[in-house]
Amino acid sequence: MIGRVVWRVAQAFPLLVIVSIAGFALIHAAPGGPLDIYLSNPNVRPEDIARLKRSLGLDQPVWLQYFTWLGGLARGEWGYSFTDGRPVVERFAERVPATLELVAVSLLLAALAAVPAGVYAAVQRGTWVDRAATGIAMAGISLPVFWFGLVLQLIFAVGLGWLPSAGRATPGDGGLVDRIEHLALPASVLALVQAAAWSRYLRASMIDVLAQPFMLAAQARGVGRPRLVWRHGVRNAVGPMLTVVLLDAAMLVSGAVVTESIFAWPGLGSLFTEALARRDYSVLMAFLMASSALVVVLNLVADLCLMRLDPRTAEP
Amino acid sequence: MTPSTMKPSIGIRLAAAALVVVTVSSAVGVAGCRRRAVAPPPSNDLLVIGYDREPDTLNRFSTHILEDVQTCIVEGLTVTDEKMNVVALLAEDVPTPRNGGVVLTPDGGMDVTWRLRDGLRWHDGAPVTSADVTFTVEAINDPDWNPESTDGFDRISSVSTPDARTAVVHYKEVYAPYALQFVRGLLPRHVLEGRDIDAANDYNRNPLGTGPYRLKEWKTGEYILLERVRGYWRGGGLPHIRQLLFKFLPNTNTRVNQLKSGEVHVVPLLPWDKFREVADSPTTVVHRMTGNSYEVVSLNQRRVGAFADVRVRRALMHAADRALIARSVLEGLAPVVDGPIQPVSWAFTDDVAKYAYDPARARALLDEAGWRVRGTTGIRERGGRPLSFGLMAQAGFAIRENVAQALQKQWRDVGVEARIELHDGTALASLWFAGKFDALLHWWHMPADPELTLFFAADRVPPAGRNISYLADSELTELLYASDRTVDLERRRSLLVAAQKRIAELVPEIPLYNITRLDAVPRALGGFKGNPTNAGIFWNVHEWNVR
Repeated sequence: MIGRVVWRVAQAFPLLVIVSIAGFALIHAAPGGPLDIYLSNPNVRPEDIARLKRSLGLDQPVWLQYFTWLGGLARGEWGYSFTDGRPVVERFAERVPATLELVAVSLLLAALAAVPAGVYAAVQRGTWVDRAATGIAMAGISLPVFWFGLVLQLIFAVGLGWLPSAGRATPGDGGLVDRIEHLALPASVLALVQAAAWSRYLRASMIDVLAQPFMLAAQARGVGRPRLVWRHGVRNAVGPMLTVVLLDAAMLVSGAVVTESIFAWPGLGSLFTEALARRDYSVLMAFLMASSALVVVLNLVADLCLMRLDPRTAEP
Repeated sequence: MTPSTMKPSIGIRLAAAALVVVTVSSAVGVAGCRRRAVAPPPSNDLLVIGYDREPDTLNRFSTHILEDVQTCIVEGLTVTDEKMNVVALLAEDVPTPRNGGVVLTPDGGMDVTWRLRDGLRWHDGAPVTSADVTFTVEAINDPDWNPESTDGFDRISSVSTPDARTAVVHYKEVYAPYALQFVRGLLPRHVLEGRDIDAANDYNRNPLGTGPYRLKEWKTGEYILLERVRGYWRGGGLPHIRQLLFKFLPNTNTRVNQLKSGEVHVVPLLPWDKFREVADSPTTVVHRMTGNSYEVVSLNQRRVGAFADVRVRRALMHAADRALIARSVLEGLAPVVDGPIQPVSWAFTDDVAKYAYDPARARALLDEAGWRVRGTTGIRERGGRPLSFGLMAQAGFAIRENVAQALQKQWRDVGVEARIELHDGTALASLWFAGKFDALLHWWHMPADPELTLFFAADRVPPAGRNISYLADSELTELLYASDRTVDLERRRSLLVAAQKRIAELVPEIPLYNITRLDAVPRALGGFKGNPTNAGIFWNVHEWNVR
């Protein structure tokens, strides 16, 4: 297993280099640049723009900018934000806790919803319960996140006044209850979307498993229903979903962009939105590399988990 | 019984019940299902501002974002008031030729004498002196620092300091907007001397000022909390409000929802399409003010040959029903304007050529210019080429998209085709700065000083300036440069009036309407005056008082 892990990690390096070249080229090819935001200020003269461009190294050829950036990365230097001049690592580090908090809670909520819903719908296939679960899941998948988030704000914050509409904590408070109150709406929105999709995967997977001969054999051996479903059914059905869950987690960590923006959640998604709008190249590249690396790592973790759940997948 | 038709086990039922409990409790249970004040109401203890973005830096000279937060901390020698008059702040007076503060020198330059108020101190207790003026000029002109703009500072040859309260600024040439030279404040010499200011994040994220507030906390991505400075130099118990909380809420809908739920009390620059949502609020009032910006269609004469003909430009003016757009799309919030200097400015004149909505006149002008409808498309042609151009605008800006569509229809009615091209804001900025557009629907934020040279002088086309219509008129250019090289306010006004008349004759662009500024503030807030310039509404925050 260790050999396999080492091999996968070694494979990832050239992949990440290719991603960095493609990403760098795409980001620089997009119209606009970090200095364009200055253009709306009439007191910023064209001479100022030229001066700032020189100071940020943006007057250099793109290939040279890339190698300068790559050289820095190889030395462990992620560069400085073009927006506020602070180290990119510092800007990332201060956003990570908020994102992890949001993602962890929403994934937990989503899993708590998706697993029973998917299993229940599969076991009760064709009944009204299955149809209701399908309807709810379809709605969850189809609802635009920005719209659903705003509706929740209108109901729970503006209408009922039960929950804060945005932010991570009340300034000067930040107690556990205050944190949970702030987390409730964004986590619910993210959880609903994820749970909807996962429950569909699990339902399909579970239906396949339930039809397998070993399930009938287990039932014939007198295995009880709860054990039959959870030990024999779910254990075999949950494998394919695991990869999806972990890749979704990677996507959420690298930016629940819309949700964080609507709920003014100070995480990586908000930072990404801001960096994109301001064409903050160094922050955007850091994002790209970090999220690519995360996808590679979580893919590997998914494989390892799968090996544990189903040792047959470990065979070469 | 096959597995697929099994009854759900008790475990599954329990799990389903748990799911419901968890979901419901996560959404509402923790809140105790009760209506409550999600935030305290506005008071002199705390005023919460819903701000659309997080500042990049609190260094007023480096930021490229509106300076609302910085204005509360760092004060300039002067400030522009709600009527765009330049008034003294840290200076005793605004220097003028009349009060002897401005003296033209024989070498073609000028000396401006700034006298600081007596007893001024930085928030750390150190005295504010003329050495800070000198340091500010030297720091901004130092090639190792990268402030946002060096405008005006690069024309200063030296600063002499006869005493601790007097700084004489020597200019190499006459510089008309000198009164706004130090509107962004001073840099504290005793804190920044000998340092790399770009990297001085202790100052850049927590600047030392003389203003009514100082930074208490900056929670990145969330908020900035300012607290009242004890012993503020104005005395009289000012400011009244103890703490100002700027919450960063980039999403417009979220910002307005927070205003409606009472979680924020002030929303500066309320978008027009949110006016109705807030207008009837019992606790909030929307303050309307004529802005120092205007919406305009720039016509790129270099890209579209037809725009080089003034008859075509005038025809486009006559064909645009600007009053209808203002009444309908803009719901009467923005008045039609006829030129670049806005009514809030002391240099404004209304005595310019006007182009009323008159499609018949537009058609006649286009006929006269040789553009006639020949084919079946209804689009005018000349020499086999259609009168057709791209009309570029910002994507996702609903009002602007609607205005673009209205103009497209109105111009189509006289045989002119405008093809709407939408781009995101950042991409758009790079395109217009490079002159890569046919016609551009956008706004110009005008400087507090009514300088037009940058926008209309023949030698100020991109990348040297913002003459993105590529207008080349020697008479206008001469007027504009003359207006920049006088400190005689009356003479400057007459030159700028003449320039406005010339611009109206030439129609290099199609002015549409004033960008009326909307600011949502508590009804209980007294002392609020607003401000049409970049100084923002917080320029007189020391006078604000929640009743």
